[in-house]
Amino acid sequence: MRRDLRGALLLLLTAAVQSSSMSAPGKPVLLSCRSPEKETFTCWWEPGSDGGLPTTHHLYYERERLEGTYECPDYLSAGRNSCFFDKNHTSIWVDYYLTVTASNALGNATSDPFKMDVMEIVKPDAPGNVTLRVEEREASPCLHVRWMPPSNTDTKSGWVTIKYELRVKKDNSNNWKEYTSGTQTHFSLYSVSPGGVYTVQVRCLLDHGSWSEWSNTTFVKISNYLQNERPLSMLISILSAILFIMAGLILIAKRKSVKQWVLPPVPGPKIRGINSQLLQSGGSDDVGNVLIIKQSFPPIYFVWQDQMEDYLIVTENEDWLSSNSQKSLIPACFHFNSEIHSKESPCHQNDWEKDEEISQVDNNNKPFTNTGYVDFQRHVENVDVKHVDYSRVKEVKRDNILFLEKEKVQSSGYIHFQRQEGIPEDYSGVKEVESDHLVVLQKQNAADLSCKDEGNHYTECALHKPRKPHVCTELSDSGYVDTIPAPPLM
Amino acid sequence: MPGTIRSVSLVWVVLLVCLSSRRTSVGAAPICTNGQVGCHVLSLDNLFDRVIQHSARMHGISSDLHSEFEQYFLPSKNQIGRVGRICHTSTIITPNGKENAQRMAREQLTEVILKLLIAWRDPLWHFHQSISHHHDFNNFSSNKALEMNAMVHELRQGVEKVAEKMQVLGIISNSVTSLASPDVLLPSDSADWRLMKDYDLLYCFRRDSNKVQNFLKILKCRIVPDHGC
Repeated sequence: MRRDLRGALLLLLTAAVQSSSMSAPGKPVLLSCRSPEKETFTCWWEPGSDGGLPTTHHLYYERERLEGTYECPDYLSAGRNSCFFDKNHTSIWVDYYLTVTASNALGNATSDPFKMDVMEIVKPDAPGNVTLRVEEREASPCLHVRWMPPSNTDTKSGWVTIKYELRVKKDNSNNWKEYTSGTQTHFSLYSVSPGGVYTVQVRCLLDHGSWSEWSNTTFVKISNYLQNERPLSMLISILSAILFIMAGLILIAKRKSVKQWVLPPVPGPKIRGINSQLLQSGGSDDVGNVLIIKQSFPPIYFVWQDQMEDYLIVTENEDWLSSNSQKSLIPACFHFNSEIHSKESPCHQNDWEKDEEISQVDNNNKPFTNTGYVDFQRHVENVDVKHVDYSRVKEVKRDNILFLEKEKVQSSGYIHFQRQEGIPEDYSGVKEVESDHLVVLQKQNAADLSCKDEGNHYTECALHKPRKPHVCTELSDSGYVDTIPAPPLM
Repeated sequence: MPGTIRSVSLVWVVLLVCLSSRRTSVGAAPICTNGQVGCHVLSLDNLFDRVIQHSARMHGISSDLHSEFEQYFLPSKNQIGRVGRICHTSTIITPNGKENAQRMAREQLTEVILKLLIAWRDPLWHFHQSISHHHDFNNFSSNKALEMNAMVHELRQGVEKVAEKMQVLGIISNSVTSLASPDVLLPSDSADWRLMKDYDLLYCFRRDSNKVQNFLKILKCRIVPDHGC
């Protein structure tokens, strides 16, 4: 009794132990299906628990417009837990209803039905044979990418249209830059810089399906030799910039001379004989006389001489002037520019040359000042500056006695000599001076009677010395004693 | 006097007639009949490209609408009956694979395309009507439905032109033009499609537009293979 009880208990225990490890299989799950080229497709499932017993899985399908239930034609080609439908078993634009049944000794389990249309599950393989080629251009390199469509797709017949996409990243960054390539199997990248490692991947799309996986990565390193040339070119550019700056500075420093060289001053119109400054500053009389004088003198007489001034004694007597061919009226200042470079000194220079051939002034010329004195200073070296005192002649008795006024006429120190060569004996010698107002002159040749003109202006010519030429002395209002040789009458 | 008046008026009339005829001949674009000189004729591959592009766009819109519908209604895939819906165009025999399509004659393929397009003319119109009255859909969906409807119409005209051109060039025989006649009994005349629900309608049209696009591409690459195949 006890033995039976023990045996029954043992049996029960073993039975219990055995039954807990075995069961019907769990429900499998259909995961997905995929068609890489729209001509075949594969489906995968995941089995449930196997219940401790060896379980088998079977895939069954029903198809739209096809009667009956069919089993998967190929369990092996696509690996474990998969079913491969070849071309003969694939129809597009029809619905498939798939189920997977797991079965073991203890039971079956069927998955939920999985509906699919091949049109919807198209996902191509990744493009293959991705090649990179670097083109070294002057400005910047460029990268040419080429690839092949996935080998199982048929584009020639128009059955599928493939579109591509590629992505590029530089060195180790995680920023991918994506580009769309359309239906071309090549692409050129221009935004690459030397000295980097570029990684490129390509993927494709069939019709309206899903994108493929990215292709295997392809690397390329763009060489850096272009950068070595850059320091040299930079150096050259810096040097040339420095040269330019220096040239510019020099130009700025010497801008005046540069300006004169580049744009020489244009000679303005200048009338000979006219000093523009004088015209601006002088009185109207001066201006008029400048122009008047200018008419009478031929230009050959106007020779510019540096710092020459000639004195010319000018009287107010018109008759004297007319008979005097040696004197000439000259305005106070002349300034002649015979050259371009004008010296700005209005009254220093004298362009006149003292010359006996100075032509006669017209009779209608009048002295313009009452002083009757026009001076041209000629700063010749051996100049004797004589300080001269003048006395007025009060009375002349007979022909050789001069009564002078008591007052002296002052005069400033002019250089006062006349070069009248060949005119001897302008002067009468003084024989005797009595007191301070009586001058007795030497008697002249009595033959010299031609000088008589008993006006104010002439003294009697006494011809005491026939050897001497006749000399007429004249008296002017200014009180100068001066003799002027009369034309020989004898 | 009356003679001169008459002659003058005659001259004026003649002038007017001449001017008006010249104006019409210059202003209006000439309608291209077969082989007419002086009008811009598109090449066959160009025509094919245009209709293929058109069909691609049509299919894109139908896919968008279908996915929108799925969001709204989300019919579980398991709930659909095993044998599935029957599209009203199921009676049209279409090739279901690449080999079948390549094996089909050009005329047959062209006919299939045209039949499909004709079959969808009325159902899409009604679909658009029902969508626009439905409160669940926004204007965007309704506009897409309208566009889809218009595109079917245009695409059919385009394919007819292509068929015409092919007949002119002698590529296909003249049997295709028989479809233009209203005597042909087409599935659209039957009332089957009225029984279909909107979602099923969309599903069927999405599939059929894909067929049209694919068949056109096959036809093109068979007839003018050098241009982008």
